[in-house]
Amino acid sequence: MPYNGLMPAVQLFITCLTDSFFPQTGEAVVSILHRLGMDVDFPPDQTCCGQPQFNAGLRRDARAVAEHTIKVFERPPRSLKTLEVLPDIVTPSGSCAHHFRHNYLELFEGDSVWYPRAKALADRTYEFTEYLVDKLGVTDLGAKWDGALTYHPSCHTLRGINVGRQPRALLANVHGATLVDLPNAEECCGFGGVMSVEHPELSAEWLKRKISNLEATQSPTLVVTDAGCLMHIMGGLKRQGKKQRVIHIAEVLNHR
Amino acid sequence: MKTDFFRKRILESINDPTLQTALDNNTERRLKGRDLAFASIPDWRERRIRAHNIRADVIERLDEYLETFIARNEANGVIVHRAKDAREAVGIVLEIVKDMPQSRRERGEDQKNIPVHLRSSVANPVLIAKSKSMVSEEIELNHALEKEGIRVVETDLGEYIVQLRHERPSHIITPAAHLKKEQVAQLFHENLGIPYTDDITELTAAARKVLRNIFLTADIGLSGVNFGAAETGAVCIVTNEGNGRMVTTLPKTHIALMGMERLVPNLDDLALMLSLLPRSATGQKLTVYTQLLHKPMPGQTRHLIILDNGRSRIRASPLKESLYCIRCGACLNACPVFRELGGHAYIGRDKSIAPYPGPIGSVISPGLFGENYVHLAQASSLCGACRDACPVDIDLPKLLTRVRAGQSSSPSGRGARGEGNNGGAGLTWSTKFFLQMYTRLSTQPKLFALSQKFASLTTTLLSPRSGWMRLPAFTGWGYSKDLPRFAGKTFRERIGNRKLGIGTLGNSELVNSSQPQSTNPPTSQSTNLLTDQFTTELTALSGNVHQTENAANTIIEFLISRNIKKIYLQPNVLDDNLLRQANINFTHEPDPQIAVGVTKAWVGLADTGSVLEADEELPGSLLPEVHIVVLKSKDILPSLPDAMPMVKDKNAVFITGPSRTADIEMTLTIGVHGPKELHVFVDVSNSG
Ligand code: SF4
Repeated sequence: MPYNGLMPAVQLFITCLTDSFFPQTGEAVVSILHRLGMDVDFPPDQTCCGQPQFNAGLRRDARAVAEHTIKVFERPPRSLKTLEVLPDIVTPSGSCAHHFRHNYLELFEGDSVWYPRAKALADRTYEFTEYLVDKLGVTDLGAKWDGALTYHPSCHTLRGINVGRQPRALLANVHGATLVDLPNAEECCGFGGVMSVEHPELSAEWLKRKISNLEATQSPTLVVTDAGCLMHIMGGLKRQGKKQRVIHIAEVLNHR
Repeated sequence: MKTDFFRKRILESINDPTLQTALDNNTERRLKGRDLAFASIPDWRERRIRAHNIRADVIERLDEYLETFIARNEANGVIVHRAKDAREAVGIVLEIVKDMPQSRRERGEDQKNIPVHLRSSVANPVLIAKSKSMVSEEIELNHALEKEGIRVVETDLGEYIVQLRHERPSHIITPAAHLKKEQVAQLFHENLGIPYTDDITELTAAARKVLRNIFLTADIGLSGVNFGAAETGAVCIVTNEGNGRMVTTLPKTHIALMGMERLVPNLDDLALMLSLLPRSATGQKLTVYTQLLHKPMPGQTRHLIILDNGRSRIRASPLKESLYCIRCGACLNACPVFRELGGHAYIGRDKSIAPYPGPIGSVISPGLFGENYVHLAQASSLCGACRDACPVDIDLPKLLTRVRAGQSSSPSGRGARGEGNNGGAGLTWSTKFFLQMYTRLSTQPKLFALSQKFASLTTTLLSPRSGWMRLPAFTGWGYSKDLPRFAGKTFRERIGNRKLGIGTLGNSELVNSSQPQSTNPPTSQSTNLLTDQFTTELTALSGNVHQTENAANTIIEFLISRNIKKIYLQPNVLDDNLLRQANINFTHEPDPQIAVGVTKAWVGLADTGSVLEADEELPGSLLPEVHIVVLKSKDILPSLPDAMPMVKDKNAVFITGPSRTADIEMTLTIGVHGPKELHVFVDVSNSG
């Protein structure tokens, strides 16, 4: 159905990890937004947000990727030409949202051309659960789940962009699910992007702790808001031959 | 950059079970303590923002504030020195020592009785009693002084322990956080000549005995400075054990060593900082001894050395915000890296231990000393727990990324905004190479999509049966986890084209989120309520509160019941005649042998259970084992800021409970250098 100019629209930033490794998360995001009557636009030239380079200290590289991303999201969606302002950007990653919102501003500080463009992008970016709860006012998606769920608040979701209550509110309304508290939930799982490669020994210790905390809950499923943590914790579980699984919150919320 | 030396040290720490137990212990207790302490100030978020702004203003207008602060101190009779680097600071201390009168106190101690490590190479050396100062670690002062034959003794229990072990402190608040009590027991057994005991109270008592003699005979007391208040010139020093008070008041010469950034504008701002520092550092509402010094003690000379040592350079660099730090150590306790490493694994390329560990250390060590420490900033997941814990809201993750971007201006003067010469500082070459490749792909969407296809194909070939692959350990990722196979069809392929279209309208069961608001009902406070609150707070700190209609009589009854025959008495506090009638000897002169002291509080503080007194009254409030305080209930004020006007230009001390330490295994021990017992007699009569 072509866009009729009345439906609210969003642009989706899928993130490179979700795109390459966990496409099913992206599909869940789209399906939920569709059910809420949203028009979802996926700018096809998007790649990565450039956070790995930024965090490693390679600012020239980080800037190149950021400029690319800003340009890609500045192009008005073809079918949304009638819109006067660009729609909100939704991303299923607290970490990438944090990167858009804070690190882009840091990167372009003092740059009279790029700073305003970065700021405009930052101002319309939302993490997925934040968008649902704060922008759309939705906390119950009619999701159903059988069994226990436990939630790991990803560092950049919780502390980077201050999104803590939103995912919990959404999970509280998943019908049939028993929510179990994860001990020391707010501790980092040890992913940290480049750090998990640069300092694998540190990363391994935290991962061990996260997994033993998960085991203490006896929940078979750990919910996260970020593909980075998902890949890291799940990778650790696989390596240790454990049965638990890690799942992105969008897939839980899309489960009916 | 090759960082193998650092990785090796990391592994050593991780594989040291004793260290790991000690660190877990530190982390768990500190985090819990901090949470509890902050629960008592519901407005802590606003305080934190205010504190951030105050520190930002100070650093912005530092020259102005320093000028006022120095002028006030000089007017108050303090000798102020400025040192631009470590060499100058050490030189100033050596000058002060050289100018000391030759006839030093007869210590009557035999070198044989001095712990081996603390003996000096020269006979009858100058003795410096030192309380904790991170700045002195930064300039390696002890080492420089010992080379000149000066005897330096650390008096903070934790510092004393690490000094005996020839180590650096491993934590800026708890220097011996890395040790277990058995290690301290063995150390004291070997060095202090006491029978082996791992009873923490006994160990503390043994240190108290040795160090008491040091306090009483030291030629010079040397301390750090927690804050300086520009407007009045106050130098604020906080310690729990009482050693800070000892070294600042007992020796004839006191040297205070401060970093030039330690200022706050005035006493009100200081009160705010003091509501945050101890809560963050040790989970206390107020440190046991919070001293505000304005002028030298009678007969004392005070030197104040204000150190730059790279701070001006940091101030002009993108790491400026790191100067807001109030050295509370909360970011260390919150940091998952510190929890694995402890302070001794933060090493430079030259293998030297960084003077400041933890998240703030990984910013200021490279900030102050440059290149040698830049790789430390790479050891972080940027999880933000440090920033969350920071009482002045320093954006530590952002600063860490700036160090990584090569923005820490090195002492040689390089480094600028944007990417410095050393972008990717401390990164291994392979990671750097990979990321630069990734930049190419990420800026060319077609190539990006193609590489995804290629990666999918390769990983499917490598791992045809499972969705997860085992990579070798050297890849970093493969060290402790498997890698997912690239998806056969990426998200972009699955959705086919750019336009995803519109879904059906949202369903009606959707409910709006509501945000509950909590309010705090204001409470009316009367004297009675304040007295009760004071009593509750002080009792919780192992202090004793006696409410009485007649303080003098009750105190005399107390003294008789405890069979106390002689006391130090602050003049004009109790009626001399009453004491004589009761056959209790008293003196108004300092006497280190006396076990009980009686002093008068100016005011009390209800919300922390503190009393405010003249610091000069230490013969009654610090030296004896039992400290008795007379306080009128009408003089109990709600909170610290209410008492600040009384301090103005005086030497004052807020005393919050008996002296205490948690330096051995984080176990609380009451009675270190100061009194073991604190009794406050609150006069609830309406007279006077
Ligand atoms: S950076 Fe913040 S948390 Fe860390 S020591 Fe300084 S003031 Fe404390």
